[in-house]
Amino acid sequence: MILPGFEYRKATSVADAIALYNDFEGKARYLAGGTDLMPLLKYRLAAPAAIIDLKGIEELKAIAAIDGWLTIGANVTLFELKNHPVVKEYFPLLYQSLDATSCETLQMRATIGGNLLQDTRCIEYNKSLEWRAARGFCLKMGGKCCNVVPHSRVCLSNYCSDNALSLVALSAEADLAEAGGEKTAGLEKIYTGSGSKPFVVEPGTLLTRIRIPLEKSKGVYEKLRVRNSIDYPLAAVAVAMKKSVARVCVGGVGPAPLVYELAGTDEGTLRDAANSASTDARAVPNAILSPAYRKKMVGVLFRRAVQKVLREGA
Amino acid sequence: METVKVAFTVNNEETVLQVSPNETLLETLRERLDLTGAKESCGIGSCGACTVEVNGLPLRSCIVLTSEMQGADITTVEGLNREGKLHPLQQTFMEEGAVQCGFCTSGMIMTAKTLLDKNNQPTQKEIIKTISSNVCRCTGYKKIVKAVGEASKKTA
Repeated sequence: MILPGFEYRKATSVADAIALYNDFEGKARYLAGGTDLMPLLKYRLAAPAAIIDLKGIEELKAIAAIDGWLTIGANVTLFELKNHPVVKEYFPLLYQSLDATSCETLQMRATIGGNLLQDTRCIEYNKSLEWRAARGFCLKMGGKCCNVVPHSRVCLSNYCSDNALSLVALSAEADLAEAGGEKTAGLEKIYTGSGSKPFVVEPGTLLTRIRIPLEKSKGVYEKLRVRNSIDYPLAAVAVAMKKSVARVCVGGVGPAPLVYELAGTDEGTLRDAANSASTDARAVPNAILSPAYRKKMVGVLFRRAVQKVLREGA
Repeated sequence: METVKVAFTVNNEETVLQVSPNETLLETLRERLDLTGAKESCGIGSCGACTVEVNGLPLRSCIVLTSEMQGADITTVEGLNREGKLHPLQQTFMEEGAVQCGFCTSGMIMTAKTLLDKNNQPTQKEIIKTISSNVCRCTGYKKIVKAVGEASKKTA
């Protein structure tokens, strides 16, 4: 498959990257590992005038545990992060979701920043231009209707980041750099809930760092997928437990992760919480497993993950 | 499109090229340098048939721009034999019959090589985990896993 034409620029700093973005009047895309972007370009789902390579920005490659936070540069690869001693010791949940992301070869290329800001996916969207043109363009491609749910006014494509679920469960924050300066937002606040435009961040904004409160936690990540390698989650649940308070994040179904705080861990509370998570999950026929099965599995994985944390404490 | 000048090493040979910004590493290797060992299969980074080694790590060359390769040290399957002698992995893949149609083979070997370079005594589990990055549609994984295990005995 041949890539569309574009210019290539290499940024040396965050300010340089944003300046380059503005030079191309916003018709540019940032490139980190490229594991999400390159297939989108090949399928003509993005057609930027320029690609701005961020891999030369040294300051975004660091991991540091300071002032009660683990600060992770957006350019850190999933594999580097997975093998970092602090991640293993403090955040077993994050270790598990990193390990469950795609396969090791892609973990060595993909970055944590790119993993969080990956585009949402749909069985009718991630297809070649010819395929999509024959089918008719959907909401996410600027068309008038959804090809999965006719008459739907909102795009329910799936957000498939494994690690976003862990990081949301661990109350992580994201540092975002814009032309006007840097701001910090709770990670769960960056999602719009619409698959057509999944993130609140403005075009040209750069995710620079992810920060996790440096407190030891227990956690379990449960992921539904068919191949156990390379594939995206078809439903997934992340549970982080600190001082007997469980924060649960559900994803892989719909355009944004959903977060729940468990009031208690007794069987009745857990059953009710799992049932309501299953009810909340807006599964539609946009993935390779049926919506009914994925919806039901949200509840199953929810209970399984929480019970595993309580049992093993791992 | 403004072309990009890139200098890198391929199989110990220094190479300087002027490439289009939208040229993938796989296209450069196959079409400019005649290194056709790496294959294009899915073209979107899912299958691993295009895997080459870049700076000691396995890399899917179909989703990487040649423009990104400035200063890189690249090894392709063609660079594995030394003075006419095959790499242990190439030898054991033949001995164990770990090749059916052969389209995934160079990617499998390059992925396995990066594992053995770091860990020359991998467990069965570690071999399977590494190899699960690559897809074989003839589904001959058992012999591939065995061939990597046998090669690890030779490199140890």
